[in-house]
Amino acid sequence: MNTSDITAKAPAGEFLVRIEGLRKSFGDLEVLRDVNMDVAPGEVVTIIGASGSGKSTLLRCINLLETPDAGHVWFQGSDLTADHVDVNALREDIGMVFQGFNLFNNMDVLANCTLAPITRKKMSKTEAEEVALGHLRSVGLEAFAHASPSTLSGGQKQRVAIARALCMRPKIMLFDEPTSALDPQIVGEVFEVMRALARDGMTMVVVTHEMEFARIVSDRVVFMDHGVIAEQGEPEQIFTAPENPRTREFLSRYLSD
Amino acid sequence: MTSNIMGAGSGRVARIISFARADHRYVLLGTSVIAALGMELSSRPRPALSFMAHAYALEVVMYYLLAAWLVLAVIGLAFKVVLRGNYARTSPFTRPVVARALRYGSYAVAAMTSVLVVDRVGCGLASAWAVATTATTRPPAMLESMLYMLYNGRSIFAAGLKTTVALAVLGTVIAFFLALLLVFLRIQVVDRSDNDFVRFWKVAGSGFARAYSAVVRGTPMMVQAMIIFFGVFSLFKMTDLTTTQINAIWSTFTAGLVTIVLNSTAYMMEVLRGGIESVDAGQTEAARSLGLSQWEAMRKVVFPQGVKLAIPGLSNELVINIKDSSVLSVIGTFDLMFSATTVGGIYYAKFEAALVTSAMYLLLTMSATWLLGRLASRLDVKSVKLGSTSDQPVNVEER
Repeated sequence: MNTSDITAKAPAGEFLVRIEGLRKSFGDLEVLRDVNMDVAPGEVVTIIGASGSGKSTLLRCINLLETPDAGHVWFQGSDLTADHVDVNALREDIGMVFQGFNLFNNMDVLANCTLAPITRKKMSKTEAEEVALGHLRSVGLEAFAHASPSTLSGGQKQRVAIARALCMRPKIMLFDEPTSALDPQIVGEVFEVMRALARDGMTMVVVTHEMEFARIVSDRVVFMDHGVIAEQGEPEQIFTAPENPRTREFLSRYLSD
Repeated sequence: MTSNIMGAGSGRVARIISFARADHRYVLLGTSVIAALGMELSSRPRPALSFMAHAYALEVVMYYLLAAWLVLAVIGLAFKVVLRGNYARTSPFTRPVVARALRYGSYAVAAMTSVLVVDRVGCGLASAWAVATTATTRPPAMLESMLYMLYNGRSIFAAGLKTTVALAVLGTVIAFFLALLLVFLRIQVVDRSDNDFVRFWKVAGSGFARAYSAVVRGTPMMVQAMIIFFGVFSLFKMTDLTTTQINAIWSTFTAGLVTIVLNSTAYMMEVLRGGIESVDAGQTEAARSLGLSQWEAMRKVVFPQGVKLAIPGLSNELVINIKDSSVLSVIGTFDLMFSATTVGGIYYAKFEAALVTSAMYLLLTMSATWLLGRLASRLDVKSVKLGSTSDQPVNVEER
């Protein structure tokens, strides 16, 4: 099934994540200033922007790795920012992939993938391992199930991190600059996995500096500038005819390609 | 770590050896020191068990050969002084045949000196031991006196040694498990999803661990030992028990063990905290992003890595406890230090007793270090790449 079909069919107002009036400061530095955004089921949203524009912070606010100062984050109808909400249960449905991979160094690849399903979803070990091996196979790393994370290459680590997140059967996947720590020649292997995910209809929010990926894979591109969403729209529109002068400036080197 | 240093060390030694062998001047210079040492040993009084006594003529020959080697070295030096710049071309010493002969000569010098070392030092020690074990009163000579006390006070030393080892090992092991519990309290931080009850206990637990660490690490162990021993003793006094009964229950060993455990727990907690805090924050974030609670993330991901990082500091604690248990002699715990004071008092030779004891402590700490090093490499501690998890080094508290 084509993802753009889903987006197109999604009625207005139906959303998986809704961000409203989000504000976040680190000390005196205002990182997010009144951000509003919806993510529809099955949609692939790429967030682009200069370093320090608040894109990573916005992403981390979606699963509350950063606590917003003001505003709301709704996920599947519940307000994550409400007091005493069970964040852990909600996070089970929000997968996240980090720039630095963050594989658990004290376990092998398979244990990395089965830890959360066993601990949180109370899966049996055999069942969890079966699921994990399935996801490892889909990222092409089944053979490394019993390898230590330290023996893997960066690209392999990131693919394991994706498989690990998928083992929780998340409703949405957040990618925080998943390829920024990788050598250019192995960026492709990670994007290949992400593209396959998008094809399968996974809802994804991707923070990236790889404009090629944003252009080809995403349904919507969000350009952030100084803590606000400066412009958003279909990739073709953003990359070929940006309306905001800041967007034009930021994209100037990509547009000339 | 150790193997690295050893590796670098042996490399350096090999370089020095090859450098010395390549140049006859250093052969002469180095071996003339060895020859002088041999001559010095030879001119010393012969110990009772000396085997060279049966080959007196041979020793005389060896003595003069060593002397001849020194003369040769002086001649070589004279040539160097006279010829200076042209030395390499004109000196007879630089001719390959002579250089090779000098090298073989140096082997002979080393061999002769080592024979003399065995004869004078090795047999000297054996003779002193023979004297010490048969003497009826303490011999005046230093070495014989020390061996005499070691031999005659052996049961006292053995008892002290046993107590010290028991205190250090038991104390460290018990303290390790207590420190594991305490560090859990110490690192608690209030999480969003916690209710007020959990919040209260987290704050209280962390505060208690902090206060405990500050008090225990801020007061001397000697004073703690006295407070614990006499404090609990006077508590027992309030009951109907007699002093003998109390002594049976609350022995100086028990009090000493409690002191060590309380102390070591505080220090080990700080070492563990250092290890845990140097685990990369990304590990926690990844675990939390998968839905694990803070406790689960800590227990399954951060803690195992933190403990591994803390192992060098933790094993250091055993060595510290071996040494620091010596202050327990203040409450009369019969440890190695106490046995040293006892034996020194019996034979009226405190200095010699202290020397014997320090040798024993050194032996204990060195074997502990060696064993822990073996254990650490067994646990594969070295393979933990500190750089891959964090840029911060592990904080190991120095005492």
